[in-house]
Amino acid sequence: MPEYAIETEGLTKVFRGRFSGRELRAVDEISLRVPVGSTYGLLGPNGAGKTTFVKTVLSCTHATAGRAMAFGRDTRNPEARRPIGYLPENHRFPTYMTGWDMLDFYGALSGMDTAVRRKKIPEMLNLVGLDERAHHLRLGKYSKGMLQRVGLAQALIHSPKLLVLDEPSDGVDPVGRKQIRDVLHSLEQQGVTIFLNSHLLAEVELFCREVAIIQKGKLALSGTVQELTSGSGYRIEGLHVPERLETELRARARSFAANNGSLALLFATREEANQAVDLLRAGGCEIESLARSRSTLEEVFMKTVEGAPQAAAQAAQ
Amino acid sequence: MKTTIAIIRDTFREAFARRIFWGFFACCTLLLLFLMFIMRIDVVQGAVATVTVFGRNGPSTDLQQMVPQAQSVIAMILYFAGTALACFASAGLVSAVFEQGRIELLLSKPVSRIHLLLGRYAGNVLVVAANIVYLVFGSWIIFGIKTGVWGAQFPLSSLCTIFIFSVFLAIIVLIGVLWDSAAIAIMASFAVMIVTPILAQKSSLERLLSSEWSRDVVRVLYYTLPKFSDVSIIVRHMILHQPVESWMPVWSTAIFGVVVLGLGLWRFDRRSF
Repeated sequence: MPEYAIETEGLTKVFRGRFSGRELRAVDEISLRVPVGSTYGLLGPNGAGKTTFVKTVLSCTHATAGRAMAFGRDTRNPEARRPIGYLPENHRFPTYMTGWDMLDFYGALSGMDTAVRRKKIPEMLNLVGLDERAHHLRLGKYSKGMLQRVGLAQALIHSPKLLVLDEPSDGVDPVGRKQIRDVLHSLEQQGVTIFLNSHLLAEVELFCREVAIIQKGKLALSGTVQELTSGSGYRIEGLHVPERLETELRARARSFAANNGSLALLFATREEANQAVDLLRAGGCEIESLARSRSTLEEVFMKTVEGAPQAAAQAAQ
Repeated sequence: MKTTIAIIRDTFREAFARRIFWGFFACCTLLLLFLMFIMRIDVVQGAVATVTVFGRNGPSTDLQQMVPQAQSVIAMILYFAGTALACFASAGLVSAVFEQGRIELLLSKPVSRIHLLLGRYAGNVLVVAANIVYLVFGSWIIFGIKTGVWGAQFPLSSLCTIFIFSVFLAIIVLIGVLWDSAAIAIMASFAVMIVTPILAQKSSLERLLSSEWSRDVVRVLYYTLPKFSDVSIIVRHMILHQPVESWMPVWSTAIFGVVVLGLGLWRFDRRSF
């Protein structure tokens, strides 16, 4: 049994202008390992190379260098793609098909028998919350959210072991998002590896155990969400803080928020937090809460994305 | 096989949805109705042995010559106009596959690229073939019922029309893969349709040209490109029971088709989407 659902080694994709000859390194030597059974998020600003990376992994785009494997097999081999379910970004499903037709077609391409398809199609359509009427409605009449759901059903029809989703909740309302998340959670429990490419940081943070951040085609950061967001500081919430003390504490804190007589402060180190507690107690203030603060994924993301150009500039110097 | 059938079915479904299939079907039906009208045939009259073809009465010996003549006219209309119309309609069916957002999903499936494109190609040929067979066999039956002349050459000529269309479709596939453009594919196939009958007059052209290298160019182009008009002459000879002088136009056109389709498949296999 292979250890990794996706494994890339120095994966590189360089686009060359047809006439200008100018090069664009959309994916630059990315080596990534997605363990079997994990929920993995791929993050990055627009144009970072996320979608190109996904398309190169799936062999829609040919790598300039390096290689990509799914469950230990090179994805250039069609058979290696059999256990993969994929929902592309900006998909254009054939509008002449009904939801049923579409699942039937892509199920057949995935090698499913007619009898199995007939059994699974209604199951899948119902799973993603498409009612009986929608089963036989042309895709041209589907809303964006319905298309996204039928796209997910299409990715699941052949019971894949690896699900690659590119912006799965794009255009889906909050109820639909919750529904999709529930489907993904149940798949996670069944041991399906889920690789999520999304610009919605909260969604990734809520769902994924591991993340990678891509910046300008390069892998900028990767690790578990727990590791990446832990140990960023200490959060103290005090009540009835006098103005003079508030001003002093604000100057010491990394960030602060005042609301209805309470003052929330974030300190970078334990020492600073202890000093703040001493000051608050000496000032006769009440301490409402004291907790180790975690960074949000957004903070980690912003730090990584904004830090990358600085690091590059430093390296150049 | 399962995947091939799925791709062919999908091509038919798209041809139905784009009304390409029904458009052809309607044209063929109109042509058959027109044929029935000009031959003044109906269910009762058709069974009667009295014969009037294109309003002319004739002894049965003349009929043996007249029917193939009439059939060759239909075959030529189908060959030239049908191929042009089919190319016009099919270009969109081919380039639609390369649309961003659609191609990625197809390529992510456990099907080889060559298999995908060949399936689409075969589906497209079958869509057109179904209509050609409908028209040819329909008119063959009308002629047969009316005149009692049942030669096999006319139905067999439909194979030549399907063959020439499949060669032009190979051009459409190659252009589609290279530029994703139905318009350029149509223009290219029409250019070949226009240029090759001119090249077919190679001996006359050679007399007109003064330099040897320009005569060489004409020869190279003639032998390289499909022989659209030469194959039509073979079709006509077949229907009229006349001997075919040379099969070179057929096999050289077939080689062209195979090479162009091969190039299209090779490019598709190498291309990044």
